Order: sequence, then structure tokens, then C-alpha cells
Amino acid sequence: MKKIKLVIVGGGVIGKGFIKILLEKNKFLKNMGLDLEVVALCEIDGSIVCEGGVDLKRVLELSDRGELNKHKQWSSIKSMEVLGQVKADIVLELTPGNIEYGEPGYGHIKKALENGMHVVTSNKPPIALHYRELHELALERKLELRYEAAVGGAIPILNLHRKCLQINEVKSIYGILNGTTNYVLSKMVEDGLSLENALNEAKELGIAEKDPSYDIDGVDTALKVVILANSMLDMNVEFGDIRIQGIRDVTPEAMDLAKKHGYVIKLIGDVRRMEVSPRLIPVDHPLNVSDSLNAVMIDSDISGELTLVGYGAGARETNSSIYSDVIEIAEGI
Amino acid sequence: MKVEMEMGLKDVPGSLLRSLEPISKHGGNILSVLHHRGEANLVKVKIVFQIKDQKSLELIQKSLREGKIRTSDIFVEGRRYYEKKTLSFILIGHVIDSDIRDTIDQINEIGCVSDVDVVMPDPKEKSSVLMKADVDNGSLDKAVTVIEKLCREKNLVFIHSLEQ
Repeated sequence: MKKIKLVIVGGGVIGKGFIKILLEKNKFLKNMGLDLEVVALCEIDGSIVCEGGVDLKRVLELSDRGELNKHKQWSSIKSMEVLGQVKADIVLELTPGNIEYGEPGYGHIKKALENGMHVVTSNKPPIALHYRELHELALERKLELRYEAAVGGAIPILNLHRKCLQINEVKSIYGILNGTTNYVLSKMVEDGLSLENALNEAKELGIAEKDPSYDIDGVDTALKVVILANSMLDMNVEFGDIRIQGIRDVTPEAMDLAKKHGYVIKLIGDVRRMEVSPRLIPVDHPLNVSDSLNAVMIDSDISGELTLVGYGAGARETNSSIYSDVIEIAEGI
Repeated sequence: MKVEMEMGLKDVPGSLLRSLEPISKHGGNILSVLHHRGEANLVKVKIVFQIKDQKSLELIQKSLREGKIRTSDIFVEGRRYYEKKTLSFILIGHVIDSDIRDTIDQINEIGCVSDVDVVMPDPKEKSSVLMKADVDNGSLDKAVTVIEKLCREKNLVFIHSLEQ
């Protein structure tokens, strides 16, 4: 049995999702020969550190009540300090990212790599804004930096490319990379709702955040476009290079017109064109998916077009990709 | 159908004959052939011929392409012919007030607007307009660039189709 020590930075929806799945799939993982042990959990105002393994059931109980600071091993030690002191195999950086500088994730990832730990993250901004630097640092230290969950939620895009499309030269990648906007646009066309009403419904269902600007203004999609451009097309693209047009100006009349002429409107991230914009899609096109689904088309010289469809967000779904990265790294340790 | 087709042929023996063969093969009746030497090693040839239908023209074009013979301007019954690719797009904003006639005219300079569907919820509100323009296959990117520029100038939102 291989023991793999983990540090989780960020105990929000994704972090808790990881813990729940770890408890649920513990036996399954052990059958694979992996004993994943969380030795530290860092939150914004403090951390729980336990060399012998954090009691995860207790963490979930307290966290659900908003009382994580009542955990017997809780201390006000900050995440950066933990990452400088604790020796683990893999750090899971699962905090929400800041689009301005990519913090706090950028600092966390850097610190973890500098301290000799592999990193798995679902955090887009640090990877999109500091791609080259972080990659070079990981390479220099002979460590893995994985971020499948930052691109398509549950959809395996980067790992599929790395493991199954080696012979291919990818010509283009484009698709729906944001579940919130897809939900809103789908509701506008299916139920005839205005953008505002569709967005309110999405907020009530927890699909959209309280401030959904990053989603509907195309910023979230643009971050994913940057990551895909650099990772899969080796384009050396920066966030500022992406032309971004969100869906705020899409009117219900435009949706009706599109429908009348056999189209739907979807927010498309187009990696080759370095563009995020609403586009007309024929109704019978494989990218015409409803609800909060994401859909990506990868066009390569040997495989031709591949369409991947799945949920791009959600604690459980996103963790499918996080585990994929963690398990692969763990197997190689 | 009377077709006028301009070609750029290499100035080597037999190239004119090779360019005429596909026309005869697909039932074209050649009415005239005009040629003049322009650029070095390239002869511009204008061929006028009569054919039965558009399908025959498409077959002629296909054969010419296979023979690596470049065609430029094609006119059918005096009107510019496009190896048609239809560019569908939606404009959102004050499309009518920002001179829709001028918008169409500018698009017509690179193609031909063939369909305009307008929805105006209220004269003060933004209108949404779906247009279809027939554009020469090789000019699609150029057409998108022109419409993007036009939309920036007129403060319109441009939503174009994924095929482009």
C-alpha cells in the first residue's frame, strides 16, 4: 500500500467535495494500492495540521456548521506557512482565484512547488496568468503541476490530449466552457425567459454565483481559453490577448430570430481565434447542449473531430478531474 | 446561362487548352476567349460560354480546381457569381437608426446580402437583425473582419455563425 500525503488548501465547495469523495471511495482507492491521507487543511483564517492524518468526518461536521475553528487541531497558522513547513506529496490548491493577479492560488502553488510538493489545482487564474513561470518551476523541480479541473470541470480534456491523442496535431479547440452561461442561454431559448430572469433562476438553483459577472461577461471562458491555448496548442498566449464578448447584450429577440432560422446562440470559447463570443450554432450541431452542460470540440489531424460533453462545474463533477490528476501523480510517486 | 469567367494561366504551351477542356466536357458552349499577358509568366484569360445550369458551372469549377487552374471573377448573366458560402449573423443594437442601408451596402461590397429579418420590440429599444450574406468561399474571414469593424463603428453587437 502506497501512502500519499495530501495538503488541501481551500475548504470550500470543491475542497469539501474532495473530502466527501475520499471518505466514499476510500476502499476503492485502497484496492488500487493508494492510501490517501490528508495531513493539513488550510482555510483563509487558519489551518488544521495533523501529521498522522486529519479526521475528515469531523472536519465535514464542523465545516457544515461553520465551526471549523472548533476543531481540536485548529490553529490560526496561515496557508503559506503550512506550505512552507509541512512535508506532503501533493498539494491540492482549491481556492477561488483572483483574476487580477491569480492570488492566493499563485502564491500557494509556487510555495508548494518550491517546497518539493506536486500540485493539483482547480484554480484557473494562477494557471492562466502565470502559466510559463509555474510550468518552468515545476519542470525545474521535477514536479507535477496538474489542472484538469480548471478547464472543463468533469470533462477530461488535457489528460485526454496528453494520454490518448499523442500522435495528433491539434488544429482547433472550441466550445462551451461555462455552465452558467449555457444554462442562461438555454433557458432563454427553451422557456423564452429574459437574460435577467434566466440568471435569477440560475442563482436560485446555485448554478450562478451571487455576482455572475465573470461568467456572463466571458472572463471565466477566456481563462480556460488561455489555459487550453498554452497547454494544447503551445501558443504562448496571455489573458490580455483574448478578445472577449459576453452574453449581456444577447436579447430574447435575437434568440427567437436564431431559432426561427435553425440556430441557437451559445457562448463559445474559440482557442485558435483567441476569442470568446456568442456564436450562432446550427440546432443539430453537437455543441448544442442544454442545461449547464459544457461541450468541447477538438479537431486534430489524425483523429478528426472529437466532441466531449459533460458538466463543467459542481463539487462532485469537478472532483472527478481532481482525482484523475491526484491518482496519476500518486501512481508515479 | 451566359457565363464570363476570368482565369490566370501559366504562360506555357497547352495551358489554354487544359482550361477549355473542363468547359466543353460539362456541356459548355464557348462563345469567346480573350487573353492578354499581364504579370510575368501569367496570362489573364477571359472566357465567355453558355451552359445549361448552375450544376454544370459547379462541375466546371471542380474540374478546374482539380487541374490547379485558378479562376478569379465569375459573372453569370451579368451578375457576380459566388461559389456560395452563406454567412449568417445577427446584429443587435440600433441597427435601423445606424443606417441599415449603409450597413447592407458595406456588406455588399464583399458579398451579397440575401436575407434580412428584423425584430424591433419598440422603436426606442435595441433591435435584433438576422442577416444572411452570400460570400465567396475564400473571402469568409475577410467578410467577418469587415462586419466586425462596421459593428465597432456603429456600436452593434455581432454574433456570427460557428462555421465561419
